[in-house]
Amino acid sequence: MNAGKQGNILILAVDMTGDRSLREYDIEEGEEAVVDDPLVFLAQPDSIIVTRDYASQNGIVSGGKITFETMQGRKDFTVRGIMKAGGLASAFGGNLAIMDIYAAQHVFGRGRMFDRIDLTLKPNVTLDQGTAGIMKVVGPGYTVGSPSQRGKQFESIIQIFSVGATLNSLFAMLIGLFIIYNTFSIAVAQRRSEIGILRSLGASRGQIRGLFLLESFLLGLTGSIIGIAFGLLLARGMASYIGGYIGEIYGLAERTQEISASPLTIGLALLLGVVTSMLAAWIPARDASQVDPVKALHKGAYEVFSEQENRTRLIAALGFAAVSLVCFLSGGVRGPRLYAGYLSMVLAAVLLTPSFVRWLVMLLRPLFRELLPVEGALAADSLMQSPRRTSATVAAVMLSLSLVVGLGGVADASYTSILDWTTAVINPDLFVGTSDQIAERSFRFPAALGEEIGKMDVVDELQTVRTIRFDYRGDPIMLVATSIESLSRRVKPKVIAGDLATMYAQAAAGRGVILADNLALQQRLKLGDIMEIPSPSGILKLKVLGITVDYSDQKGAVMMDRGLFVANWKDDSANLFRVYLKKGVTPEEGKRRILERFGTQTKLFVMTNQQLRNYIIKVTDQWFGLTYMQVFVAVLVAILGIVNSLTVSITDRRRELAVVRAVGGLRRQVRQAIWMEAAGIGAVSLMLGLALGGVFLYYYLGIIREEIAGIRLEYVYPVKMALTLIPVMLGVALLSALGPAESAVRASLVEALEYE
Amino acid sequence: MIQLVEVTKQFDGKRQVTALDHVSLHIPKGQMVSIIGASGSGKSTLLNLVGGLDKPTRGTIALDGEKLNEVSDDDLTRVRRDKIGFIFQFFNLLPTLSCLENVSLPLHLRGWTRKKCEARARELLDLVQLGKRLEHLPEELSGGERQRVAIARALSVYPPVLLADEPTGNLDSSTGEEILRLIRDLHQRLNATVVIVTHDRNVAESCERTIRLRDGRIVEDTLR
Repeated sequence: MNAGKQGNILILAVDMTGDRSLREYDIEEGEEAVVDDPLVFLAQPDSIIVTRDYASQNGIVSGGKITFETMQGRKDFTVRGIMKAGGLASAFGGNLAIMDIYAAQHVFGRGRMFDRIDLTLKPNVTLDQGTAGIMKVVGPGYTVGSPSQRGKQFESIIQIFSVGATLNSLFAMLIGLFIIYNTFSIAVAQRRSEIGILRSLGASRGQIRGLFLLESFLLGLTGSIIGIAFGLLLARGMASYIGGYIGEIYGLAERTQEISASPLTIGLALLLGVVTSMLAAWIPARDASQVDPVKALHKGAYEVFSEQENRTRLIAALGFAAVSLVCFLSGGVRGPRLYAGYLSMVLAAVLLTPSFVRWLVMLLRPLFRELLPVEGALAADSLMQSPRRTSATVAAVMLSLSLVVGLGGVADASYTSILDWTTAVINPDLFVGTSDQIAERSFRFPAALGEEIGKMDVVDELQTVRTIRFDYRGDPIMLVATSIESLSRRVKPKVIAGDLATMYAQAAAGRGVILADNLALQQRLKLGDIMEIPSPSGILKLKVLGITVDYSDQKGAVMMDRGLFVANWKDDSANLFRVYLKKGVTPEEGKRRILERFGTQTKLFVMTNQQLRNYIIKVTDQWFGLTYMQVFVAVLVAILGIVNSLTVSITDRRRELAVVRAVGGLRRQVRQAIWMEAAGIGAVSLMLGLALGGVFLYYYLGIIREEIAGIRLEYVYPVKMALTLIPVMLGVALLSALGPAESAVRASLVEALEYE
Repeated sequence: MIQLVEVTKQFDGKRQVTALDHVSLHIPKGQMVSIIGASGSGKSTLLNLVGGLDKPTRGTIALDGEKLNEVSDDDLTRVRRDKIGFIFQFFNLLPTLSCLENVSLPLHLRGWTRKKCEARARELLDLVQLGKRLEHLPEELSGGERQRVAIARALSVYPPVLLADEPTGNLDSSTGEEILRLIRDLHQRLNATVVIVTHDRNVAESCERTIRLRDGRIVEDTLR
């Protein structure tokens, strides 16, 4: 319901005389008689109970008035009670009000219709027995299930977010691993002489390794605790964001204020954080333990990969690449093989990073030298002489960038596909709905209203649309019923399977249904299959006449002729009218005329084609808002990684940089060498990240098509995004180098040269 | 050529340490001077100040009349680049650069063209008898060879002043003698002012002048 200034609220209209046995209304404030005796509530049909959250946010007190838009126009209701926070009052984010069912049916024009019947089973009846018994009585057109099953349906809707979040978390872990690795490399580099002293005083290799691992444990623990606190805050923001999205798409007023985080989840997160930190610190700790006490007391020893290390790494990389290739070639476009192929490819890319870095820096060296002979050579050499340090940073930035490119590619492809679809399918001039929210389905128009609008002199043609959701193999599928004959004249969607003219003709005759491509893919349905759709008249066995591109619903839509729907559902009401105006009538004029004629007697909302397109773009933007957040994370990772890497590099090369300055290198020249080093990291990360992003995109499209959304998106590399990332990442690299470069040129020459 | 007037250098820490205490000194152009003294006597500090690697706490240091304690960091760098050649005990060659690149380094920093830099570097490496090791990396050379590359680098701009900090300290005695001969030879050929900090009595005695430091003060100044 639209509640005026207070926004949207879900009205739970119940039979107050019987509902007390099902639900606990914990009233904290209100007229006692109303609360205690439902008959008093019933006697005053303007009575309403709201939640404490809603009352507080809107300044409502018990006995106060609240105004709703109803079928009878704006109407005042009296708040007879306020429910305590928690329990039922926390449903729908607290945007919930209780009314008497009969009063609600009257003021909201619902006739004698009910949305659902809640009941409790007898103590000795199991859930399965109860469900089977009730289904037998009510027939196949109704859904019988427990509240937990409804939760599962919601979970199925948010699965796409869940898969995305899992992928992002996996990458965050990997990227975090590289950053921690570099941080410990800094610690080892900076404390090299300290390690040498400890070793020469008799500390064993195990003790040195233990020292760094203990440090990593403590840092991991502290970082995880802080991370969990931030994570809970972030989760709240994300839940609200996703809630808003679900609200837009499914018309549910979801406002999340509480995040459920079980002790088990928190414990696991803590464990994961500590284990990641210790794993990342393992190689630096091992390196520290292998420091030669004599060499450690001197400077200038450079880290290199041993031949054995190189060989093992390459063999492992080739192994993962082979697994990925086998998965790809054996038709691994879905299921475990798709994920195995993807993960193997990621691991192969990470393991090959040191080799790629070396080759690319070798290619860059002549260019750098050409630009600035000394500074360029120093920068390139520094990157090459510390392959582990450089590779760790490059790998972190590369993964982050490839995630951005992959998601950006999905966003680009989605925009293109959705815009194509809206042009082909969303072509009426006006849409007349029951709410300003297009997804709102709880309110319906009588069929007669459509006929009257259709007769107006400004209207050329009108299509009456009725949508419902039904359960199909556990998923909430949208059924769209409209005049297929009218549709065939106006809408030419992209056909995936079947012939458009034939499918329209047969569907208009009620011989089957037309499926959205995403539904067909998700449910593995193909042309000619028989689909069983439950209706109040029994299970309808309908042939799949055609498959078209249709993004009406995330879980997919089935389209049938309105005649078939009315005959089987015994319901001729409508959710929406698609209105085509006569030539020469502008959408604004048509809208004005419809509102003038019907706006006063019926609550209706008229949306122009442009407004609906804007709405679709807004929803798409909301969904891809997560991509932009990912870009931010990529930039942050790049800054952290490059600053870390340069800090280690400067620490390692303190004497070298001092020598350059001693023999005549100006501060500017040393700065330029460090900036070029940063630019080198940025450039190599970009090359690898942009290339890997292209591969990621292939897998993401596969996961979206086959695993989560059934949406077939065309592979188009996001060139614009890649071109934007080049100056952004190079700029970020240079920015990251400012601090380390300054610290390098301001260091004492004498100390660095270790004269004394 | 080199003029120090009442130069004091103090290091601040938990306890203030005076490394040089009111030192005044004049080294004329073309003189070869050795500075000796026990560890902590201030000899390396003196070399750092003369080389413009550090600035005095008090007093003035002038090189060719230019007061080093009054110029900016970049000007000090230009003085080091154009007028001073350094030879370090631990060679301080850049490990990733070849012999040719190491010797060319100060020339590139001056902005010379690659061709000109390489021609001069080849000439100098020939002079120190390493003409056949141009593309070798420092790790592929012996200690004596590395020091010869370092000397070639120090001479790359034909500086009027050559500063050497324990140039033979990291070498065996015969290689040390060979390096010292080379420095002396270059000093005579180029007429450069040479200041050598050393612990080695033989090295010290081979110079025409020896200055002994103790507790940051000049306690002996012998001209042979």
